[in-house]
Amino acid sequence: MTTATGLTRSFTVGRRVFAQLRGDRRFLALSMVAPLVVIFLLKTFWDSIGTVGLAQANFAAPAGVFIVHFVTYVLTAIVLVRERVAGTMERMFVDGYRPGSIVAGYLGGYTVLATLQSILILIELNLLFDLGFGFADNVAVFVVMWLMAVLSMSLGVLVSNAARNEGQVFPFIPLVMVPPVFLSGLIVAVDSLPTWAQVVSRVVPLYYGIEVVKAVLAGGSMLDALGALIMLPVLIVAVLFLAARTLRESR
Amino acid sequence: MTRFISVGCAIEVAGLSHDYGAIRALSNVDLQVERGEIFGLIGPNGAGKTTLIRTIVGSLHPRDGKVTVLGLEPQADRWKLRSHLGYMPQAAALYDDLTVRANVSFFLAGHQRGNGRAQVEESLSFVELSDRAGHRVHTLSGGMKQRLSLACALVHRPEVLLLDEPTAGVDPELRASFWQRFRDLASKGTTIVVSTHQMDEAYACDRIAILSRGQVVAADQPRLLAPGARATVRLWRNGQVSEHSVADYRDELPGLLSTPADRIEIEHETLEDVVLRLIRGGQ
Repeated sequence: MTTATGLTRSFTVGRRVFAQLRGDRRFLALSMVAPLVVIFLLKTFWDSIGTVGLAQANFAAPAGVFIVHFVTYVLTAIVLVRERVAGTMERMFVDGYRPGSIVAGYLGGYTVLATLQSILILIELNLLFDLGFGFADNVAVFVVMWLMAVLSMSLGVLVSNAARNEGQVFPFIPLVMVPPVFLSGLIVAVDSLPTWAQVVSRVVPLYYGIEVVKAVLAGGSMLDALGALIMLPVLIVAVLFLAARTLRESR
Repeated sequence: MTRFISVGCAIEVAGLSHDYGAIRALSNVDLQVERGEIFGLIGPNGAGKTTLIRTIVGSLHPRDGKVTVLGLEPQADRWKLRSHLGYMPQAAALYDDLTVRANVSFFLAGHQRGNGRAQVEESLSFVELSDRAGHRVHTLSGGMKQRLSLACALVHRPEVLLLDEPTAGVDPELRASFWQRFRDLASKGTTIVVSTHQMDEAYACDRIAILSRGQVVAADQPRLLAPGARATVRLWRNGQVSEHSVADYRDELPGLLSTPADRIEIEHETLEDVVLRLIRGGQ
């Protein structure tokens, strides 16, 4: 297979995924609105327990990154499993689509959704919380959200291989999504965790996302956490490679 | 039967076995499908028809045995082979949110060959769905979805077409229309392997293999399976009826008539009876 042929197939899959998204207005609306509602509830909750100002701002942006990570991961995993259950995944393979083209196509199609989602969440965060972000800060958080969304899609594809139906995706949610909450620095500083947990945190993608956001919140730029910023695309490539290598055509 | 367009083997299956955990799906299956013939796989649910088709397609890696399709191996040569294969799975396997035309175009695009637009329109016309080309799939009836699924399977003009129960849940008129289309394709040299439960469809095949519990219990032309079949001979004598199951009534009838009968009734086994007997393990 030539690179051009592979790219054409990826583009065809991406265009098809995007056309389906446009056709499924309810799915599109839910995936856009659900994270916004969660962030609104988060604000309401924080207001109720009396945290104000800076404390909220420090948690709001990392929480936004996590919500994008969570929603994108779940949606991608479910949609991929749905393809497998419906038999269209097997049909794609039989009709000449290669695993790499399928994964890249999905990524392309859903990236449009993830971009829109990241922009909307960032707007809401700015409106609800006193983030005090300038343009560069917003760009930095957007970049992190977007990279985390792409990474979550890759994770969703990878995990979908282990599920035989949509229902089996759900046990993987706590398995893949809960450890990062504790190991990424979202709630507790990683330095205060036991040594073994600090070591494990280095393979948690959200850790690097949070590191970059924390650098921005501390008044710096995303380049102040350049190592963490570089780790995100590195992890994306690694997970994508694994996802394409393990993509199964049928249940 | 003199329907074969060309001679030569399109599909060869030798010693094929496959398990799903503790369940034996295929057991030492041997088959040969000639180029240009319609080959039927007949058997009850769970007989191994779908597993056999998916192994030929290359979706399943068999535990044991060898499959060759057009001289290529479905696993080792999967990408080379697949441009020559058309596959219609049991479930419609279509994108409900896309239009009829978009579905056919999408599955054709994977093969990256031929004149896209013309081939899409030709296959839609072949299954008589041209007037619904712009409609979304979720608006179609079940029968239309089956036709669309067939269009997706043959849009790239494959040499070998594998159809897994293509007429399941389809009304008799549409079934007849499907079989007319299969015959049209076979007359142009397409090799077709089709699984079915319907005995009238078995008669429409050039050859059939009867599968039971993962094994081929018989394989031949359907009309050659039936004539050698058993018959039930009923003899009426003095108002009493006696029933005799015989392997060949022409040989056995004189013996049965050593005492004259008032009335004789001979009921031949149909192909369905033969299939059922073979499936149940009878001789």
